[in-house]
Amino acid sequence: MATDLKILLIDDESDFVETTCKRLIRRGYSAKTALTCADGLTIIASGWPEVVVLDVMLPDRDGVDCLREIKEKWPTLPVILLTGHACMQTGMHGLEYGASDYCLKPIDLETLVEKIAIAHRESQKPGI
Amino acid sequence: MSFYFDRLTSFFRTKPRLKPAELQAAFRGHYKEFRALLTANNNALELMAELEQALTAGHSFGMAFVRGNCTALSVNIYKMIQHLTRLADGRYVELDHPFRTITRELEQLIAIRSLSTEGEVILSMKEIDVTKVDQVGEKMANLGEVKNRVGLRTPDGFVITAAAARKFIATSDLQVEINRRLKGLDLDNLEELYTVSAGIQSLISNAPLPTELEEAILAHHRQLAADSDEELLVALRSSALGEDSSNVSFAGQYRTQLNVSREFVGQAYKEIVAGKYKSQAIVYRQQRGYRNLDVHMCVGCLRMVNGAVSGVLYSRAPDNPRSPFVIIQAAPGLASAVVDGSGVTDQFRVSRTPPHPILHRQSGVEENDSAAISRRTLTDDQAAELAAIGVRLEEHFGTPQDIEWSIDQSGLLYILQSRPLGRSLSEEPPETSEYKPMAADLPEPLLIGGACVSRGVGYGPAFKVRSSLDLLRFPKGAVLVIETPYPEWASLLNRAAAVVSETGQMAAHLATVAREFGVPAIFGMKQAKATLANDTLITVDATAGKVYAGRIEPLLALAAPKPNLMVGSPVYKILTQALVHITPLNLTDPASPYFRPDSCKTLHDLTRFCHEKAVVEMFNFGERYGFDDKTAKQLVVDAPSQWWVIDLDDGFTPDFDPESRYIDLGHIVSLPMLAIWQGMTAFPWAGPPPVSLGGFGSIIFQSTRNPHLDPAVRSAMAAKNYFLISKNYCNLNVRLGYHFALVEANLGEFLTENYVSFQFKGGAADENRRLLRIRLISDILSEFGFRVEQKVDAMTARIEKKPGAFLLERLKILGYLLIHTRQIDMVMADEGMAAGYRRKIMTDLHTLIIPTTEG
Amino acid sequence: MSELPILIVDDEEEFVSTMVQRLRKRGLSSEGVLTGTAAIAKAADSDFSVVLLDMRLPDMDGGLVLQEIKKIRPESRVVILTGHASASEGEEGIRNGAFDYLIKPVEFETLLEKLRTAGNHNS
Repeated sequence: MATDLKILLIDDESDFVETTCKRLIRRGYSAKTALTCADGLTIIASGWPEVVVLDVMLPDRDGVDCLREIKEKWPTLPVILLTGHACMQTGMHGLEYGASDYCLKPIDLETLVEKIAIAHRESQKPGI
Repeated sequence: MSFYFDRLTSFFRTKPRLKPAELQAAFRGHYKEFRALLTANNNALELMAELEQALTAGHSFGMAFVRGNCTALSVNIYKMIQHLTRLADGRYVELDHPFRTITRELEQLIAIRSLSTEGEVILSMKEIDVTKVDQVGEKMANLGEVKNRVGLRTPDGFVITAAAARKFIATSDLQVEINRRLKGLDLDNLEELYTVSAGIQSLISNAPLPTELEEAILAHHRQLAADSDEELLVALRSSALGEDSSNVSFAGQYRTQLNVSREFVGQAYKEIVAGKYKSQAIVYRQQRGYRNLDVHMCVGCLRMVNGAVSGVLYSRAPDNPRSPFVIIQAAPGLASAVVDGSGVTDQFRVSRTPPHPILHRQSGVEENDSAAISRRTLTDDQAAELAAIGVRLEEHFGTPQDIEWSIDQSGLLYILQSRPLGRSLSEEPPETSEYKPMAADLPEPLLIGGACVSRGVGYGPAFKVRSSLDLLRFPKGAVLVIETPYPEWASLLNRAAAVVSETGQMAAHLATVAREFGVPAIFGMKQAKATLANDTLITVDATAGKVYAGRIEPLLALAAPKPNLMVGSPVYKILTQALVHITPLNLTDPASPYFRPDSCKTLHDLTRFCHEKAVVEMFNFGERYGFDDKTAKQLVVDAPSQWWVIDLDDGFTPDFDPESRYIDLGHIVSLPMLAIWQGMTAFPWAGPPPVSLGGFGSIIFQSTRNPHLDPAVRSAMAAKNYFLISKNYCNLNVRLGYHFALVEANLGEFLTENYVSFQFKGGAADENRRLLRIRLISDILSEFGFRVEQKVDAMTARIEKKPGAFLLERLKILGYLLIHTRQIDMVMADEGMAAGYRRKIMTDLHTLIIPTTEG
Repeated sequence: MSELPILIVDDEEEFVSTMVQRLRKRGLSSEGVLTGTAAIAKAADSDFSVVLLDMRLPDMDGGLVLQEIKKIRPESRVVILTGHASASEGEEGIRNGAFDYLIKPVEFETLLEKLRTAGNHNS
């Protein structure tokens, strides 16, 4: 399993992102956090992240909308939706706009790490 | 499998002509979709199993679980549909229709509804009976019934309704904040639980009352005060309104405030509404499957009865619903002393038949002289009056009653509450035929005595609780040892193995909740605290009133399973209704003309359809893209066999010549296929029919030679036995003799992707014998950790999300069973032979597999 | 019950004022303060039958307030009443001489009982 991935967490629940970020780093990943969609987009624009984990409830913008912009500008960047508020419509819209996965909080780190790795693998061109 | 028709139709489609490199890329692209579909399928089946198990496992779950899993499930199935349509170059988009239909139904079931805040905010006790239960809650509706329909004396007063509480919460817009604080709350973390509970209660208690509501409360209070000269003191009592509270006591879960004077009525009201979020109430609702929104806090505001003597009356003995006597617990003072467990009570058994003589009396203060007891609590006449009331209320409500009463200083009897005796209280006594260990088998008990207030046997370390501080330190699975059964210890009952209290009796709230939760409890066990040191391991036989040192296996073997507290609750009902749209499998036969998108009625149907069609797509890929004749390689073991292998990605060694029509095992690197093969060939098949014809290989070939014996077989794929493989994946479709089997496995780098699944159907023998064989296979697979489902003569078995090494061993087992259960259905009716086969199979399997852990 | 008043230390103003009123209604005099500093000053100034102490105060840690009060008046009975349940904090409190540890909310009648018990020991 690739453990050197660069992961961006966009989520306004600061306790959650901080802890998750620390735990990812402890496992050898590189991780950064953004509390708003706008901050997230800035980091993505720098070309840093390889996988994005995105909350669908953000203070500045609807998460699905944020996803749409990410996928429009960076179609090959895998984005995993992670939410504490289960909603089928959000999940389906998310997948339509190209989200790699849709997961619900609370999620254990083990599962999240796997989902990140799978999303990253699936985003690679076939045959490579 | 209905490949036949798919193949026919695919002939008429234009075949894209691609260069080999493009072809390879297209194939890889398809395989990637296929693999993603399998992962989504794996997730979906696991989620379905979790939802289904929740109904039977007896663990508690909340709406967040149901909502979360249903949503995740729907999203995974949506993903499967997406991958299938891409895999099939745009076909199967019509799956969208059944998918939308099913998920719309599901969404409605799990949606968060907001309740009306309309309606009367206050009702006078004079206008309340059971028909008003939706406004005033169970407790006050029953009390109104006692007052207005039965005609017994109850305290005057009024009820602040459910609509009032909703209005109060809505006015300050508190619910969102409350939900936020409750979300993700870990009930096992007591510090967190108490802190969150205190925070929410303080939030509610400090919010302002809507002015109209406050004025209405004070106006009614003024009216009540007008009847008396003295300052009016009231009791504010919670009257929880559950969506369906049959068999749910809510005993002592909520708050009551006594002796409240006018200036504090508003504050006391807010505190009682806040009491909906008491820690034990939060735990209790979760345990019993109530959503927070299912419970509304109505509040009775009743004139205080200045009790001279008070207590509880059961219209039947708690352990015998046909007892000819009532039971009365009485103590001087207010009734709260009896129900909060702190008072010393006298107990009376009084005949249900007039003139209601006292059959037995027992004093709580060691003076069994009947005159002394009469002076302390009840006279014969008062006991008779209470017994008559018990009988009358039981007749009126149609079920044994648990009644709170109080006799005031002037001798007037008031009924404060009447509710059904808890379910587990009125259950039949245990069968006398059940095995009772001989007393001689058991060691000397540490403690004997007390009264059993909740039957059963529990084991764990003793832990004494005296204060809130001890409460925070209570370890999970310990035996709760206490001096007094205060209601606040109820929040420990979901963690306690048993309860031993030095005082108290069966009328205490704590006893009621213990019975409800199936936690064995002995009350009145003297010397418990002195005898039972913390952390000493003890076995509590509540039924016999004995406590032993250590673990007493014969007693624990008798312990009844804990009741499933969720059954019948709102959350349980919602899950049951949701599962109607989720688990039933209507699409069982891919060869049927009804195996098509518009026949999908459930999410399970959709997964089945998508999975089936995805495999077909992968199988047909070669043909659709015009290189079919070279896709399938015939497996060579000594000689060419009837087993064919199709490589989906990287299942062959790189040096294998793609032009070859044959392949040997040496060129196959598919781990799951090799494991299956190892299982198939590890032991020679012992018949029937008897082994002949030059070695083991030919037996496999022979039995697979003529699948057309069965008229149901009409697909191309079923004519041969195919392995569809990649390095980590294998799909084996077999017809051996008369049965059909499908083995599928994926052993990826991530647990999320891993699974082994097995389907088995058919046979040549009559149905009974076929069923016996299926049961044999089911038993064996369950023993090795498979989750097995059996429907008539078809079964499916699955394990998912386990490490590869563990799953490889399971594949060997399946390979073995494919070969060795052939035709044994013919002899299954013979018990001796069946047992013989079972023994042989288990012996072989234990030699075959390397023990691995599930990880 | 001793004649001395009860000192209520809690930063929730609403809670303090209601508690003072409720106690007065039941014949008990009490005073309320909202900070740890004020509590220590009060304790230095005059004697109380019982101190009802919250652990989360705006200016200082409740545990510290407890220690200071016990320093000034070793005989005083301090009952911790907190909304932040913490076993370690509770243990430390008891070790430092707190008389009882209660988690909010406590029913007024029950609290009255606890205050009376604490007060009786004092007299």
